[in-house]
Amino acid sequence: MSQLPPVVIDNGTGYTKMGFAGNTDPQFVIPTVIGLPNQSRYGIASRRGIEDLDFHIGNEAVSNSKSYGLNYPIRHGQIDDWDHMERYWEQSIFKYMRCEPEDHYFLLTEPPLNAPENREQMAEIFFESFNVQGLYIAVQAVLALAASWTAKNSHQTLTGTVIDSGDGVTHVIPVAEGYVLGSSIKHIPIAGRDITAFVQQLLREHGESSIPPEDSLDVARKIKEQYSYTCHDMAKEFTKFDTDPVKYYKAFDAINSINQQSYRVDIGYERFLAPEVFFNPELVSSDFLTPLPEIVDNCIQVSPIDTRRGLYSNIVLSGGSTMFKDFGKRLQRDIKRIVDGRVQKSEELSGGRLQAKPIDVNVIAHKKQRHAVWFGGSIMACTDQFYQFSHTKAEYEEHGPSICRHNRVFESLA
Amino acid sequence: MILLEPNSRVLEETLLARFTSEKPEIVEITLVDFDNVVYHVQTSAEQRTLLNLSVEMKYFNEVLSYGADEILKREYGDYLIPVVNPQYQITLQFNLEQLPEDKTALARHVSMLKRNMLASSFIRAFEYWESQQEGAGPLMATHYRDSEAIYVQAQQDRVTVIFSTLFKEEVDRVLGKVFLQEFVDARRQSSIQNAPQVFYSSREPPLEIRHLPDLRQDESVGYVSFVLFPRHFADQEAREKTISQIQLFRDYLHYHIKCAKAYMHSRMRTRVKEFLKVINRAKPDRTTASSEKRTATGRYFRPQFRQPTSSQFVEGE
Repeated sequence: MSQLPPVVIDNGTGYTKMGFAGNTDPQFVIPTVIGLPNQSRYGIASRRGIEDLDFHIGNEAVSNSKSYGLNYPIRHGQIDDWDHMERYWEQSIFKYMRCEPEDHYFLLTEPPLNAPENREQMAEIFFESFNVQGLYIAVQAVLALAASWTAKNSHQTLTGTVIDSGDGVTHVIPVAEGYVLGSSIKHIPIAGRDITAFVQQLLREHGESSIPPEDSLDVARKIKEQYSYTCHDMAKEFTKFDTDPVKYYKAFDAINSINQQSYRVDIGYERFLAPEVFFNPELVSSDFLTPLPEIVDNCIQVSPIDTRRGLYSNIVLSGGSTMFKDFGKRLQRDIKRIVDGRVQKSEELSGGRLQAKPIDVNVIAHKKQRHAVWFGGSIMACTDQFYQFSHTKAEYEEHGPSICRHNRVFESLA
Repeated sequence: MILLEPNSRVLEETLLARFTSEKPEIVEITLVDFDNVVYHVQTSAEQRTLLNLSVEMKYFNEVLSYGADEILKREYGDYLIPVVNPQYQITLQFNLEQLPEDKTALARHVSMLKRNMLASSFIRAFEYWESQQEGAGPLMATHYRDSEAIYVQAQQDRVTVIFSTLFKEEVDRVLGKVFLQEFVDARRQSSIQNAPQVFYSSREPPLEIRHLPDLRQDESVGYVSFVLFPRHFADQEAREKTISQIQLFRDYLHYHIKCAKAYMHSRMRTRVKEFLKVINRAKPDRTTASSEKRTATGRYFRPQFRQPTSSQFVEGE
């Protein structure tokens, strides 16, 4: 019997990406939210019927949010409520993916620095509740690296710096030969949501009064996604827009969601200011002021010295908020500038006696950036080694959940 | 909600996305449905606007002998082409430039493919019943999974459907047994008297199929029989509904066993939380009255656990 394709599920804080391995895009991208009936309270004696089956997940939960209370089982990338998560998985497997878990291998993802206990919990649920054939739990950053292998200028190594920017938070994660360098991970409190809010604010400021307040966030998000690009120099871009507004200003046609009338929104500086938030955070924040290139540089500078060249030469983008046009180029230029400046300074300080070998800075952008983690998982689950690296049901029964502390890719305790 | 749909949602959404997209991209997508059905959606090698949907179905030869090809021709005749890859049994081809107006309906219709194929033995049994023949009709088995099968047999006044199902897991077997016994009992409630009659036996195959040679007879097998009466299949609408629902029985059964386990796990977690509270309460409290020792002058002595300092003597009240 030919083996059925493994199932790849990437549960993120905002969205869950799931699909069958071998495909280039996830089959479902739904919000990681579970809607539970409002009146049900957790008492051990209260429930005797089938109330535990009365719930919705994903978009259905959102659309039923009047009668069902919304719960977000994942907080900051980590699973917070295992009861809700177990039921979330139950419905996503049977109702959405329509597969019998007993027939498949599963690949799940975990955030960097996930506690081994969480991994054990995951294994317990998948092996005991769902009786899956085999399970592999991969670190999201490593999968994002694997996803970048499809890019033209990729090095195809598991060493690199992953910039993962989703809706809620941005991480910079250095990975050396598949190991996440936990102590060097940096977080940036700016991500997709903040940029959307910034665009919304800009639109309000230049007096787009035709946007109905209830659509305002949605319009801002669409403008951000469709019209934004990264510029080389903010000041020059401003003069460009001022001298030739006809060429650079765009118009966005939208339809009022309530009375179905169409209206037009003018888009100006938002186009290049939105991604600029990463490079000049003072645009939106008053307490966080370090630009992204500097954070990346810092992150690599605190990593072990023998990994730094590899980390500079393979900076990988992942997540929806890195999808801006030319974002990678700008980032590469800025990081290169910082690095070259430092090399030059050290040469000067040595009085010309030392010649440094130039450091290669390479930011890799590719087509699958948006769901890079899922895509990396899909690639990985297609390889023959996947079945060797996975933990099988028989092993679980022999040794218990602690097998998941061990990652066979590295042959050591991870 | 917990209800499963008769069509494959993944397939429906995938096809609809291709049908409605403005410029045809090259795609290759593999999807899975219950009972080891594999769908393969691929852009044709010769022409970008042609989309091939190939289906792999283990039990295709069986359903073919129950008239599945007629259903296939009737429902999807316009799109049917000879099979390209021998791994697959059915291939449909869609020309993205010549699709009917209602693309949503088409996508939905195609996503019912597996359901329609599996329906063939049911339809044949219902037709046998309609023909009013004497005696029992042929026993039609569909081995929808390895060592699991649906048996359908028409009798003069009823149609019997028998599911054999396999529990790989010890825990599942016990839960499944309890679940099915309860299921049979629940049928006796007055509110659902119109539902088909249900019988359950573990290990022992029911009389209708006892003569078959390839039956497993060990603890892990369970047999569930449904007796459908004419009211379940006399008119066309009820018939379609019956077929859609009864097909998913096995999936529902296994789904609910998993749900039951999840429910028990959630209770266990609640219980552990309660116990932890009790344990936390039982921590020895260092400042309880019993540990106070008074001196003769009325001062009291509080024993301290770590750093003994001169401030051990505290002014009493």
